[in-house]
Amino acid sequence: MKAYQKYFTTKLVWFLTTFVFAFLLNFILPRLMPGDPVAVITQRVTQGMTSQSGAQAVYQQYAEQFGTNKPIWEQFFKYVVNVAQGDLGVSFSQYPRPVADILGASIGWTIALQFPAIIVGWLIGNSLGALAAYLKGGFDKVLMPISIFVSNFPAFGMAVIMLVVFGVNLRWFPTSGGYGFDLIPSPTAEFVWSVIVHYQLPFWSIVLISIGGQAIGMRSMAIYELNADYVKYSRFMGIKDWKIIGYVFRNAMLPQITGLALSIGTMVGGALVAEIIFSYPGLGFTLLNGVVGQDYPLISAATLIITVMVLIANFSIEIIYGLIDPRVKAAQAD
Amino acid sequence: MNNTLRQIFRSGKFVTGFAIFVAILLGTLIYPLIITDAPLTIIGQGTFFPPGIYVSVYDSLGSTRYTLDLGEANFNRIASRLSEEDRIAIKEWLVAAGIPEADIDTADTQKLLTQWEENFDAKKSIPGMTNAKRNYYVRLDKSIDGLLSAEGAILAQANAETGALEQTGTVEQSDFVNVQQVANVRFLPLGTDNFGRDMLTELVAATRVSLIIGFVAGIIATLIGLTLGLLAGYIGGPVDDGIMFITNLFTVIPSFVLLILISFSIGQEQRGAFTVAVVIGFTSWVWTARAVRAQVISLRNRDHVNLSKLSGHSTVHIILTDILPYIASYVVMALILQISSGILAEAGLSILGLGPKTTDVPTLGLMMNWARIYQADIQGRWWAYLPVLVTIAMVTFSMNLMNTGLDQVFNPALRD
Amino acid sequence: MGKVMLEVRDLTTKYITRFREDVYAVDHVSLKVEEGKSLGIAGESGCGKSTLALSLMGYYFPPLYYTSGDIIIDGRNISGMNPDDVRRSILGTEIAYIPQAAMNALNPTQKVIHFVEDVIQAHNPKATKKEIYELASERFHLLGLPPEVLQKYPVELSGGMKQRTVIAVSVILGPKVLIADEPSSALDVTSQKMVIKMLRDLMESGLIKSMIFITHELPLLYNVTDHIMVMYAGQIVEHGAASEAVFDPLHPYSKGLMGSIIVPEAGLREHKLTAVPGVPPNLKKPPSGCRFAERCKYVRPECRGAAVNIREGGVGRTYRCILTESELREVYKNAA
Repeated sequence: MKAYQKYFTTKLVWFLTTFVFAFLLNFILPRLMPGDPVAVITQRVTQGMTSQSGAQAVYQQYAEQFGTNKPIWEQFFKYVVNVAQGDLGVSFSQYPRPVADILGASIGWTIALQFPAIIVGWLIGNSLGALAAYLKGGFDKVLMPISIFVSNFPAFGMAVIMLVVFGVNLRWFPTSGGYGFDLIPSPTAEFVWSVIVHYQLPFWSIVLISIGGQAIGMRSMAIYELNADYVKYSRFMGIKDWKIIGYVFRNAMLPQITGLALSIGTMVGGALVAEIIFSYPGLGFTLLNGVVGQDYPLISAATLIITVMVLIANFSIEIIYGLIDPRVKAAQAD
Repeated sequence: MNNTLRQIFRSGKFVTGFAIFVAILLGTLIYPLIITDAPLTIIGQGTFFPPGIYVSVYDSLGSTRYTLDLGEANFNRIASRLSEEDRIAIKEWLVAAGIPEADIDTADTQKLLTQWEENFDAKKSIPGMTNAKRNYYVRLDKSIDGLLSAEGAILAQANAETGALEQTGTVEQSDFVNVQQVANVRFLPLGTDNFGRDMLTELVAATRVSLIIGFVAGIIATLIGLTLGLLAGYIGGPVDDGIMFITNLFTVIPSFVLLILISFSIGQEQRGAFTVAVVIGFTSWVWTARAVRAQVISLRNRDHVNLSKLSGHSTVHIILTDILPYIASYVVMALILQISSGILAEAGLSILGLGPKTTDVPTLGLMMNWARIYQADIQGRWWAYLPVLVTIAMVTFSMNLMNTGLDQVFNPALRD
Repeated sequence: MGKVMLEVRDLTTKYITRFREDVYAVDHVSLKVEEGKSLGIAGESGCGKSTLALSLMGYYFPPLYYTSGDIIIDGRNISGMNPDDVRRSILGTEIAYIPQAAMNALNPTQKVIHFVEDVIQAHNPKATKKEIYELASERFHLLGLPPEVLQKYPVELSGGMKQRTVIAVSVILGPKVLIADEPSSALDVTSQKMVIKMLRDLMESGLIKSMIFITHELPLLYNVTDHIMVMYAGQIVEHGAASEAVFDPLHPYSKGLMGSIIVPEAGLREHKLTAVPGVPPNLKKPPSGCRFAERCKYVRPECRGAAVNIREGGVGRTYRCILTESELREVYKNAA
């Protein structure tokens, strides 16, 4: 168990380091841009505002939050303190609603949508890839081009196709929102059913997007493992084929887990765009609203939250991987 | 080298991908030579004109008339004017009047009208029918009679002095003009978009811009990745540690988050297509750096590299002659993938409203975004988004197909 | 003459390529190995020696296919048996195999003991984990391997240790014939010696009854095996006692491999089987006459006619050439 603790500690330190850097980037990037960001952004923000007092309040809020007149380390310190207290500022576009409140309302939708969808896509993709590698022949010849095509299909494209086919033409599922527009969130059967029905199209879009790439990766890994020397040796020691297939798929699966950790950022990105197509009330849609409303605090906080989510997902996968693959522990023991 | 090329072109996947890609590329190059309109010219006063051939009504009145007696002309005219709603209403009335539902086919105009003519009686009272409904059916019957009338239309012109209309001619139902002789005809193979711009011209221009964005982003990403990978792999030690630290950071921090932050900070006005391409390039070099580094490390201690070192060649010389040629295939494959993901990244950004500024040139992503904002998908205006999607998919698919083909040539273990 | 452990008669097997071409990598090979004896098989890479090793086990999977011939192990003909019976009652128990790349021969994510359990239970499903552990640790101990190895993953073992573990697992069911395919080629000299010693000990202790050793390093063969067989392009070209094959080869190919040198053993060490200029024929379309004709220093027009048969050359010795033993000796003498 010692070896695993070492692995865990290394990964935890790495996770925290990445977090600090992501945080720094989130803080620094907008400040690196040419010109005076406060002037530019406040002008942009107040342009569309009708209420003079609102505009004034936003300006003050923004100047205080950004605090460009203070030295950068002080600005950063203030930013850190605010974020640590859960204070992500006040939204420009939905003034005077706090950003934390807006994000709080959307983050649950995103997690409930993306987490299961990516896992299901990963499982289906891997099973198909493994089958293609094992069965070869016709199945492989049909599945592979489809997988390559689907994996290159843009995420929003898949969402649009699903929306048009199942939402507009067949009318099986509603085309937008997280629940019926005439309902108020409540624990009633009607509301729950509405949520389930609205869930389907975004969910399956994300699943379909994830399948292709995973299937291709798994197929390559499984073909590689099927040709490995241990397969031949195990066969010649009289071990049954299905047992060997078990070894192969377990071994091929392991790099796919690391692969998931590495690609989860990209997958979440695609899924956020899919949310936009379905006007799903998650972070993607919030982000879009932020962009449309030139809502700097909202975008900054949303990207920070998304980064943290991806980092946590990544960290969790690495931790699980360490438990499953014995080689990790062996490597740490050296 | 020749042998490698021959092998590459023997790979079915590569050739298919290459053919699709070249076809798209040629399309974007040749089309503007034929149709020279500016891609963003607004020609349609209205949104989403469906695909088809647009013939000037005014000009066709002045064209030479030909009389054609076509048997199905009447029928086609009526069929095209009788709306789906009317057909359903006719069916409802007929069913209510006691005609068996199985006998009625709303798609068969001829039979439907015959049944209507035979059975309709304005005086017949149908239980449960409102007065408004009854009046609707009377009007419907009248308009059907109008449809069936064989009279032509009268052309009139206002007299400049009196203002009274004077008949200048008639148009018979059997009058035809030859489209070739009509002065103004416009073929819109993909209709118009929400702003009334010719979709096809716009799409071709957008494809070209998106390809350029992809190339610029891909080349920047590949150059950064290649440089960092070479330095990390060949020099090793603290340089490697430092570069790998940064690379690992940017592997985990999602690149689209950086893209969003940077693009938003740049602001709409400064965000031209080229800027977007550069930003994409600067946020997507990670995989190339990793792959190149791994390759270089495996090459670093090969005999020919050691020999070169012993011969006193400079590091630059060794990298150029003893390392680069061996990783060239990987770099090319990485470049292809970078180009295709650059195109996708631009599209994703545009959908978020962070694409290039909309006034200069269209991109595939911007076209998608316009279609989304104007709800082309929900309204069933397929021509506004489907061709764009297919183009994006074909470009990225062809590139990945080429990549898979190359991969199979260079990594024989992956062959079927 | 001892009991015959393995007899192979006219065995032919082929690969079917992805372009549906037949490649006969083992072409009418016959051989015999007696109890307590070992046979070495030598040849360039691609000559079919590794394919022969795979073919001898009577267990084929694509792209390798059985064509004709008999494989008789301890009096039992396995060439017609159904593959599942071969798997259950022959592999590991009658005939066992040490693969070429033992480095990767063990599943990297499985502890050695779990693999041993899978091996034994494939033949005896009733064996309990405790019995298996006892047997395995006893056997490992006997072969000079610490029993702790059983609880390790392959990545935790050194190269030489992995190789010896694979050998120990291969012989755990006491096979009558052990086929070792270049078991030491990837190892350093010390590990090589340990592996050879281990194989010898196995023979002496009777854990295995006979052995076939495949290599391209002749000095190893001369040290380890009683008989040597030289293969060329899927066929046997020379077969005899180890000393004869090494120091008095008859076939021009064997001759070429050895050169005409007769030097102390130390000199042989540097002598690898690459001494004959030219490349072997393409087995998709083998030449009609002698397959070695293209590279033979003593080639004659009649060599390229009909296929060349095996000839007897003294007691227990065969070779494949159109010339008789005395004619060959004459040719060699003139050339010298």
